[in-house]
Amino acid sequence: MVDDVIIALSTPVGKSGIGVVRMSGKNCLDIAKKMFTPLNKNVDIIPNLMVLGNINLGSTTDIGFMVYFKAPKSYTGEDTIEFQCHGGIAVTQKIIEKALSLGVRLAEPGEFSKRAFLNGKMSLDQAEGVIDTINAESESELKASSGLQKGILTKTIENIQDTLIDIMSEIEVNLDYPEHDIEYATKEKINNEIDKIYTKISNLLKTEQQGKIIKNGVNIAIVGKTNVGKSSLLNALLGTEQAIVTDIEGTTRDVVIGSIEYKGIKFNFLDTAGIRQTNDKVENIGIEKAKQVLKESDIVLLVIDGSKELDNQDKENLELTKDKKRIIVVNKIDIKKFIKLQEETVEISAKNNINIEKLKEKIYNKAIDGCDVNNTLVLTNARHLEVLKSAIREIKSIKETIFENSLDLVALDTRQLYEKLGEITGETIDEKVIDRIFSKFCLGK
Amino acid sequence: MKEYDVIVIGSGHAGVESALAAARLNNKTLLTTLNLDSISFLACNPSIGGTAKGQLVSEIDALGGEMGKAADRNILQLRLLNTGKGVAVQSLRAQVDKHAYHMDMKNVLESQKNLDIMQCEVVEILVKDNKVYGIKTAFNETILAKTVVVCTGVYLDSRIIIGEYTKDQGPNGFINSHGLSSSLSSLGFKILRFKTGTPARVLNSSINYSKFECQYGDNNIQTFSFLTKKQPKNVAVCYLGYTNEKTHDIIRKNLERAPMYSGMIKGVGPRYCPSIEDKVVRFADKTRHQIFLEPEDKYGNEIYVQGFSSSMPRDVQEEMYKSVEGFENVKILRNAYAIEYDCISSLDLLPTLESKRIENLFFAGQINGTSGYEEAAAQGLIAGINASNKINNKEPLILRRDQAYIGVLIDDLVTKGTNEPYRMMTSRAEYRLLLRQDNADIRLTEIGRKVGLVDDYRYKIFQQKLKKINKVNEIINEKLDSKKVKELLIKKEESCSIIPTTARELIKRNNITIFDVNEEFKLFKNINSNILKYVETEVKYEGYLKRQEILINQMKKNEDIKLDKDFDYNKVKGLRLEARQKLNSFKPLTLGQASRISGVSPADISVLTVYLTLSKKKK
Repeated sequence: MVDDVIIALSTPVGKSGIGVVRMSGKNCLDIAKKMFTPLNKNVDIIPNLMVLGNINLGSTTDIGFMVYFKAPKSYTGEDTIEFQCHGGIAVTQKIIEKALSLGVRLAEPGEFSKRAFLNGKMSLDQAEGVIDTINAESESELKASSGLQKGILTKTIENIQDTLIDIMSEIEVNLDYPEHDIEYATKEKINNEIDKIYTKISNLLKTEQQGKIIKNGVNIAIVGKTNVGKSSLLNALLGTEQAIVTDIEGTTRDVVIGSIEYKGIKFNFLDTAGIRQTNDKVENIGIEKAKQVLKESDIVLLVIDGSKELDNQDKENLELTKDKKRIIVVNKIDIKKFIKLQEETVEISAKNNINIEKLKEKIYNKAIDGCDVNNTLVLTNARHLEVLKSAIREIKSIKETIFENSLDLVALDTRQLYEKLGEITGETIDEKVIDRIFSKFCLGK
Repeated sequence: MKEYDVIVIGSGHAGVESALAAARLNNKTLLTTLNLDSISFLACNPSIGGTAKGQLVSEIDALGGEMGKAADRNILQLRLLNTGKGVAVQSLRAQVDKHAYHMDMKNVLESQKNLDIMQCEVVEILVKDNKVYGIKTAFNETILAKTVVVCTGVYLDSRIIIGEYTKDQGPNGFINSHGLSSSLSSLGFKILRFKTGTPARVLNSSINYSKFECQYGDNNIQTFSFLTKKQPKNVAVCYLGYTNEKTHDIIRKNLERAPMYSGMIKGVGPRYCPSIEDKVVRFADKTRHQIFLEPEDKYGNEIYVQGFSSSMPRDVQEEMYKSVEGFENVKILRNAYAIEYDCISSLDLLPTLESKRIENLFFAGQINGTSGYEEAAAQGLIAGINASNKINNKEPLILRRDQAYIGVLIDDLVTKGTNEPYRMMTSRAEYRLLLRQDNADIRLTEIGRKVGLVDDYRYKIFQQKLKKINKVNEIINEKLDSKKVKELLIKKEESCSIIPTTARELIKRNNITIFDVNEEFKLFKNINSNILKYVETEVKYEGYLKRQEILINQMKKNEDIKLDKDFDYNKVKGLRLEARQKLNSFKPLTLGQASRISGVSPADISVLTVYLTLSKKKK
């Protein structure tokens, strides 16, 4: 029996109502318990029983279900966990990431079926199909990473790997030829090169954001206290009468979605009920929802009534959104311009359609911030993302220890980083370091 | 007609280990040699060990081989390389007395039970039904054998080149071998042509040493053999000097007379052992190259000039050497030369070093495309053991990549092959942290015991060592006086935010060694420093060692799945065509080996796993 724990997304990658992430292997329940807290704390995890709870996504949580299948009564014949969560890349990706940080490994193509077969869960006839599954899945993975995108990604990663070979050859030549008068591979120099690689991979990861934007659009939450003109603003942006606009405080109670396309990017607007304390029960639910929408949004438009002075509620909203990508929109400038904030603002009149185009441009810039829109490389493949994120983790750990560790350990870390990236390019080290050593350095007796 | 269990052809470093292993495992063994005076001859450097090679020697020793002991007995200077760069890459290197070393090994062979030695030339390997049954000598004598180990080194149809002068001969004026190469070729072996070289030897008294830097040996360090009790004395000094622009100009001026560039040499030379003309051409911007002066024996009259190998004509060599500062009046005793020789493709071998095409025929050493005494000896030992195991119906000995450099060496040779003389380097070992000089005995003594080459004496010493290690491991887990711990931390400028409670935790700190702890707390009595150092390494590297352990366990799973060497991969529906062809031509012994063949993808290995399980279930 195979004993390491593997994980993979079982539902198709991309937009879907719910996503299922499956994990299989000995003791995977222990790992799952670190990732999941039942809402009802007294509930025991019983095999085959669905439990509602919070799935730990690192910085945030998602509400979802967890089911535990105890070996051998599972698809793979091993202990298996299924998480059912909200669909879309972000949530499922985060679950997988969390599991990987706990020592779980991303499943190889067809590995769940392979394990099911190896554990005797399939008849011999079915097993013939397993080979096809392995081939089909590795084929489709190949396809997902083929074409232009693959070309650019591979080139970029190969470029990074080439730098790593340089670093490694400098370290290795020092280790294997201690008596030669070659330039010593200083840790400062290695550290500098590692920094450059870090930047390159971070830039690649930024295209994840871009990839998401291109695929799903950018989610924009419009936030502000009651009656600052959020619904009017939404209507102005959409150009239709979508939300109900009244003068009575608290009339918008549902999160209304409307979308427009601007310069090829889809803006999904999420209208929110006014965030304020109230005794109205129905409205309270709306407020909770608003806070959740805030969490799910990529960009926040914080609307402030420019005709009035900032009050405590505005200040609270400023505080609430301070960590988000946000644009402060000062509305009602047609009435009176009163407010002056330290942060940059966009001054509009939703009612009179003043500066609405300017706001759209601002949203667009915010959305593609840090992404090179002309860069055709967009990361959307889950495995690629995962590899790069682990690479970033490895770089961080190298940087933490490089000045304390001896050169043999630094060499090992660098090699592991190379091999990690090799999961994208398929490049293995083989003779490359040795070839580089002999092409760069004059050695020998 | 004479008959043996094992015949070993060649008495170099591979042949000697092979013959000793076979004889010590109670096989009636014959060692043939072209010349008794060339037994264990150090044809190039008068030195043994070096990075990764030092580890090889200690591994040979732990398995019950001879090289480590013989080296220790004949040391002129011993050094530990890479002391500042981490324990994993620290290696021993020794200057040895090349004449004493040869005589010593000759004596060991002559005193060995079950072993006959015979000076003769072997001209044919006798094979029937793809199975070896003996050899034929140049005297036209047939000698029968159950197994034959070929360790012919650089002697097969070899020729030496010094400028325009060339002669069919072996190294150092020894005669070479004719006939055997064509015998191998007619048996279907692919013959490759490799090249290597050696520098001139010069007269000690003709050198002005004031122009050179001294290099001394290290004291109180471990030795190659785990049985050596007496620390060898450093009786020799080596020297470091440099070539200069004048030297390089002489070389450039005479390049058209260099056989390397005139097309006279066709063999493939090693990149790590370039001639001086090669260095000057390839690294034109370097204004100087290092040369090291090493004594050939205890008398010290003949000096080996490391870094100055060449195949230039004699007169150019003279001019080149004299241009070096301190060499103005140098007298060359023996010229530098290049040597070309035949070898086989190591891809024709199984991981046991037995031929894939001819049963009971084994190969070891430079004939497999390697270079280096240590690489040769390591293969010789394994080939000798496996020849013996084959006769006695025992499981073959195949060391894994995580067990020994020997495992890395042989796996590289038989799985990847080599297109230049192969030298062991620490960077070839992915589990380098585990394959250290200091733990070779811990890794391999039990294996050697199982093979039968580790005698009771060695085994007893090993067990005593284990006991002491356990003792030290117990002591370092005991609680220490926290006040004194804090004092030590302050003295060593270590953080006091968390106060370690045991010696073990203290040793984990960067600036604190086990010796510091011992000085402060007097914990260990009668325990030698090598053992303390070993425990310290295991503690300090714990995290990294565990990480390597995880990788090894993943790898081992595939390594344990055996593949039938007659299996037809065309039968596996779902394997890609390239994988089928590669697997069919390689015939790997394990799934692990299959996964390292270039052109076989992880998906192919998955498919193969499923197929294998399937066919097992069908039975």
